[in-house]
Amino acid sequence: MNLSTASGAREASAYNFAYLDEQTKRMIRRGLLKAISIPGYQVPFGGREMPLPYGWGTGGMQLTAAILGADDVLKVIDQGADDTTNAVSIRRFFARTAGVATTERTVEASVIQTRHRIPETPLSAGQIMVYQVPIPEPLRFIEPSEQETRTMHALEDYGVMHVKLYEDIATFGHIATAYAYPVTVDERYVMDPSPIPKFDNPKLDMSPALMLFGAGREKRLYAVPPFTKVISLDFEDHPFAVQQWEECCAFCGSSESFLDELIVDDAGSKRYVCSDTDYCRQRTERLEENLQ
Amino acid sequence: MTTPHSSHWLQPAFDDPVLDAQVSFRAALAALAEPGLTQSMARAHALGDLAPATYGLCLAFLDSDTPLWLAPRFDTPLIRANLAFHCGCPIVAEREIALFALLDESELADLSDFDNGSERYPDQSCTLLIQLADLHAGAPLRWRGPGIKDVRSVNLPLPASFWQQRQARSAFPRGLDCFFAAGGEVIGLPRSTRVLIETEEAA
Repeated sequence: MNLSTASGAREASAYNFAYLDEQTKRMIRRGLLKAISIPGYQVPFGGREMPLPYGWGTGGMQLTAAILGADDVLKVIDQGADDTTNAVSIRRFFARTAGVATTERTVEASVIQTRHRIPETPLSAGQIMVYQVPIPEPLRFIEPSEQETRTMHALEDYGVMHVKLYEDIATFGHIATAYAYPVTVDERYVMDPSPIPKFDNPKLDMSPALMLFGAGREKRLYAVPPFTKVISLDFEDHPFAVQQWEECCAFCGSSESFLDELIVDDAGSKRYVCSDTDYCRQRTERLEENLQ
Repeated sequence: MTTPHSSHWLQPAFDDPVLDAQVSFRAALAALAEPGLTQSMARAHALGDLAPATYGLCLAFLDSDTPLWLAPRFDTPLIRANLAFHCGCPIVAEREIALFALLDESELADLSDFDNGSERYPDQSCTLLIQLADLHAGAPLRWRGPGIKDVRSVNLPLPASFWQQRQARSAFPRGLDCFFAAGGEVIGLPRSTRVLIETEEAA
């Protein structure tokens, strides 16, 4: 799909540009400066109520609203897809309240808000990724107390994370964590990369794009600047490895992308398709061009 | 304020308060995300001794939630009146409680007392807005760290005492984050950047 611009003036002119008021944006912007200065550290911020429920990307939307400008081109994906309810409604929200151009093409976007995937197409310098995060604290499932997890981060006391991964190995013979796989940012903070599949973790390391993470219910934001070391936790004898499939995408034939499993009939036969719809469409179109 | 009415000091700020603040913020974001790269920051007009870039940073980030410390050079009725009107930020005399500080090069030999955060809340620290005459007239130093692919050579004209002060106030994650502004340009220096002083390397 090509660029589509909201017609002329903004449609919803009763709202401030990009919905949030200026003081809220300034507060989020100041938080983002600190988040970038301390990569991987979760900055508390005064989360606002957004016109959709928690869990639908309110944290990501507040960051997007704070950074979005008139010249930006916005792409929104939900599990890799541009055409799901969450992605469509957030994209329309900013087209209406900010009048920004929107796109489904990864290469055309300057800001990409995402729920739980990183596009297959490599990101470029100048692009900003905004992640929707449900639970930003990677230590939360081990230590429920905020007081304690904050102290653990301050003391760089992360041994318990390795214990959790080791319990996986003891129980299953391998590290069974498949998404929200914890990472160490710039050799200091352990960070939850949001519930992206661990397949996407290597894309965070030394990426040329700026990564911003927003958790609306938990009111935390954090960041990974471009060209920052992001290492997935592992063991020498159980090194980190991403998912692999024996099958290819049923549409585009890709054997390198993250595949979703579809059950296609009552007998339980399976097909696999790319989770990244833009990547899949680009490949399909290229294949069809070559055939003609 | 000594004058009974300070309104005659007032000057226009951003032409478009919403979009100019957004453009200035994105320049500042890019400056911190890629330390050492020069970003354009020219949406504001100069205000007295404040360069457009310095004033743009003030207008983009300061409001009633951000106590500001002013270097004596910038502590003029003109600057006070306009910051009070356009930003509404409290101007404080104590460095310890300032979240932002406006400095010029004469202040760089002493960065004591500015809040560099705590181990548990390193984000609750002061951001230094430092106005220089020029951003490129100094000896090259090599910067490394997040936002820099390998090594970046940056030649900010800063005294050695600044780097000593920065070192003294740094204990990552604690530290001071700086913006250097001159004319309509800005360079960011977050606490995460590791600066190699050439002489140290030779030693």
